[in-house]
Amino acid sequence: MAESIAIRNAGKEYPGGSQALREVSLDVEPGTFLVLLGPSGSGKTTLLRCLAGIERVSEGQISIGGKVVASGAVHVPPERRNLSMVFQDYALWPHLRVRENVAFALRRQRISKSAATGKTLDMLKRVGLGALAERYPNELSGGEQQRVALARALVADTGLILCDEPLSNLDADLRERMRVEISSLVREAKATTVYITHDQAEAFALADQVGVLERGRLVQAGTPEEIYAKPATPFVARFTGLAGELEVRVLGRADGAVEVAPGTSARPLTVPAPMRIDAQSALMLVRPTAVSLCDAGNGDHHLAGTVADVAFRGRGYDHAIDVAGHGRLTGVFARTRADRGTMVGLRLDPAGCHIFPA
Amino acid sequence: MAITAEDAAGGSAAGTGSARQGPASRGPGGRGLDWLGSHLRRLTAGRPTSELIGRPLFWLLLILFILVPCASSLVLAVSPAMFDQGSQWFTLTYLGQAFSGTTAIAITNSLWVSAAAAGLGLVIGFPIAWLTNRTTLPGRRFVPPSMWLVVLLPSWLPALGWERIVQADGVMYRLGLNWPWFTHLIMGPGGVVLLLGLRSVPFTYLAITAGLAGLGQEFEDAARVHGAGRAATLRLIWPMLAPAIWSALAIGFAEAISDFGVAATLAYNSNFTLATYQLYAAINNFPPSFPAASAMGALLVAAVAIPLFLQARALRGRSYRVLSGRTRQPVRRRLSTRGKVSAIGGMALFYFVALGVPGFGAVSASLLADYGGSFSISLVNFRALFHQADQFGPLERSLAYGVIVASVTVVGGFIAAWLLAQRREKSSRLLDFLLLAAVALPSVVFAAGYIFAFNLPIWSSLGIDLYQTTTLLVIAYIASSLPTNARVLVGAVSQLQPSLRDAARTHGAGELTAWARGVLPVVSRPLTMAWLLTFCGIFLELPISQLLYAPSNPPASVAIQDNLSNYHFGVGMAQSVFAVCIALVAVALVLGGYRLLAPAGWRRIGAAGRG
Repeated sequence: MAESIAIRNAGKEYPGGSQALREVSLDVEPGTFLVLLGPSGSGKTTLLRCLAGIERVSEGQISIGGKVVASGAVHVPPERRNLSMVFQDYALWPHLRVRENVAFALRRQRISKSAATGKTLDMLKRVGLGALAERYPNELSGGEQQRVALARALVADTGLILCDEPLSNLDADLRERMRVEISSLVREAKATTVYITHDQAEAFALADQVGVLERGRLVQAGTPEEIYAKPATPFVARFTGLAGELEVRVLGRADGAVEVAPGTSARPLTVPAPMRIDAQSALMLVRPTAVSLCDAGNGDHHLAGTVADVAFRGRGYDHAIDVAGHGRLTGVFARTRADRGTMVGLRLDPAGCHIFPA
Repeated sequence: MAITAEDAAGGSAAGTGSARQGPASRGPGGRGLDWLGSHLRRLTAGRPTSELIGRPLFWLLLILFILVPCASSLVLAVSPAMFDQGSQWFTLTYLGQAFSGTTAIAITNSLWVSAAAAGLGLVIGFPIAWLTNRTTLPGRRFVPPSMWLVVLLPSWLPALGWERIVQADGVMYRLGLNWPWFTHLIMGPGGVVLLLGLRSVPFTYLAITAGLAGLGQEFEDAARVHGAGRAATLRLIWPMLAPAIWSALAIGFAEAISDFGVAATLAYNSNFTLATYQLYAAINNFPPSFPAASAMGALLVAAVAIPLFLQARALRGRSYRVLSGRTRQPVRRRLSTRGKVSAIGGMALFYFVALGVPGFGAVSASLLADYGGSFSISLVNFRALFHQADQFGPLERSLAYGVIVASVTVVGGFIAAWLLAQRREKSSRLLDFLLLAAVALPSVVFAAGYIFAFNLPIWSSLGIDLYQTTTLLVIAYIASSLPTNARVLVGAVSQLQPSLRDAARTHGAGELTAWARGVLPVVSRPLTMAWLLTFCGIFLELPISQLLYAPSNPPASVAIQDNLSNYHFGVGMAQSVFAVCIALVAVALVLGGYRLLAPAGWRRIGAAGRG
């Protein structure tokens, strides 16, 4: 049965004084696929290890399935939290065969040996490793080792599965295939899943919900669409993908929006502004999807620039455009190619432009 | 909504403008308790109770049984009053005395003999390492285990074997080989250099092998394609091995200068005094002079630092980074028939001199019924060994000491290696330094430190009388073996992924089960090897035994030395031969047991690549 998670003001200070987590509070409903997203050092691994019980919280409280597992005096050890975990390095025991690695997770269920063997082999078949049960981990490819780690996490039907950047050691092609497998297998298991990554594309592709961490704090939580459409801070916007940043003049303010101009001669545009902007200038963060190319001679554009680089992407081309006075915008997609050195116009979609105080 | 960040529901910012209030107990009245609680939490930083108690206890034992004796062995020379050995709280008299008279001669002897032995070790060990690692030498796979045999035999055993061969009434003369010049050659500085040099060969071999392993084929290829012949290529390549060569020289020198086995046997019987024996004599003669012994210890430690200083100076400012992910496996050079014959001949000569001659000397001497002029073979010495309790008892005792010490040391060594591998705290750096310093301290100096530290009246006043007890001897064995053991294990333990233990815990295993099933099997092979290394080292250990044994319970090495010094040569050699047989049987039992009883998965780890 899927477990709920409740984290209240969780903090973690390591010996030596480094503060890995600060006042993190979070509620996760049963069955949710939560992705914790953040750069290295943001505290996502620490938070996951605190959930697992491998690390102790220094402050605050963690409950799993309504039961307090960590608070000031309480620390339920990992083996009694009834969860499973896929480790970044897979943590397969090299002295045990594939089936023994997977069957290890069934020990706490105290089922008969034959039942455990049956469940293990069934799970190995589900992950496509039925024929490799007798092998040792070092006789498997990276993707196969990944599947063993996944099978070990799934076999015991725990209510909570934790995944610590499980795709980070795989090459790009295998990564995409394994992402789809993890997504489907974990959802089939109907468990609550907490998955950490520093890759925003992976986070958005997998998550029901995303939590963004910065220097130990949870700075935003919501659906992938909410995070992308309404980043709460410049950090969240930057970490979830930008074409570039423009310093803009504020021309006027309306209810929940501001009129801005990216340059002295540029055509103004009105963009949503969830927070109050009082200054004469502001920072506009632009998503790649909010920029489109047009003819530089057409007066309909908001900015103009020179094509610095162009890369073929199958369905079209990604361009890097140098905009005088603003630096470079990258990932500007167009179906047709604009050659290097060409002057082009840029149209901005207000829905993908996010205004913050400069 | 499936998820809400408390301050960030619906995708809004957390913590900005809506900081949460603390719990009600943080009011003015609860401030004192809160302050105490938060400081306690900061101190403990979420560590489990076992770690909070276990770590200080581990450190307490290290300080008491390693740091205090090591420090005592050096401090006593300058502050005898601190140890109740005189009235002076600070004096340089004893250090000054160490530079004069017989002590100065002993130190000088030790210095030049050790330098010569290190050089000899390099001259023999380098070609063996090269032949084994870079050529198609037949039987090369037997070289590593045989090197272990050379290093595991206590140095006094080959020395005694050689003595039995070349002494005036020895095996050589009984066989009709009347070569006094050879007796003079071996029973003197030449023999000492030869034996210490042979003993440093395995260390040279290991150091050069490690250096060769990092020297990929591409360096040789680059030289050859740019026009260098074989000789020019070798001239170009060998400086890249400078760190390995210096390391081999430093280890060879340190091993030779801290050796006690050859110093107390062949050198002493040849009237050639070495510093380690002089230190022992300062404690054992009547009246004993602990400050003089301590001064000798300080000089020995300083001498060990000489090659390390030279090594650092020679390598300073140069980069030897030759090992990378692109390093190519070197191609073995095919030896011609003449090359093979020469190489095998050279190797055979080495093993003949290092193991064969002393082995023959020991075995033949143990089989000689009397010590007259005849050459009659008899088992009378072995019969005496089994029928006299005072002859066999020491062997049983040392066997028990070896098993106990090896078992305790492997546990302690693993804990120390684990702490060293963490590498995140100042305490692990301190531990690293402490263990390294203890490894560098000659055993005889270490044992002297135990006498100085545990002979203090303060222990008696506390009701702890450890001096001249078997307990202190066993503790000293453990403390002297632990630093080496930890350093042997730290390589394997550093390679352990902490996630192996975490994975076991998160999948339902308790703390002990997680270690037993998830971690220890992965390092079972190095743990077994560390156990054997310690067992063999302790079973026939001499300097610590000689200085610390309980008078009524001598261990094997002391009993053998007593027999030999009382002219019971036959029984003494029978004891030696039987002791080596016991050690070999123990090694065979442990390795065979591991091979037969350990699960297949355990044995695979570390054995990869052998098919």
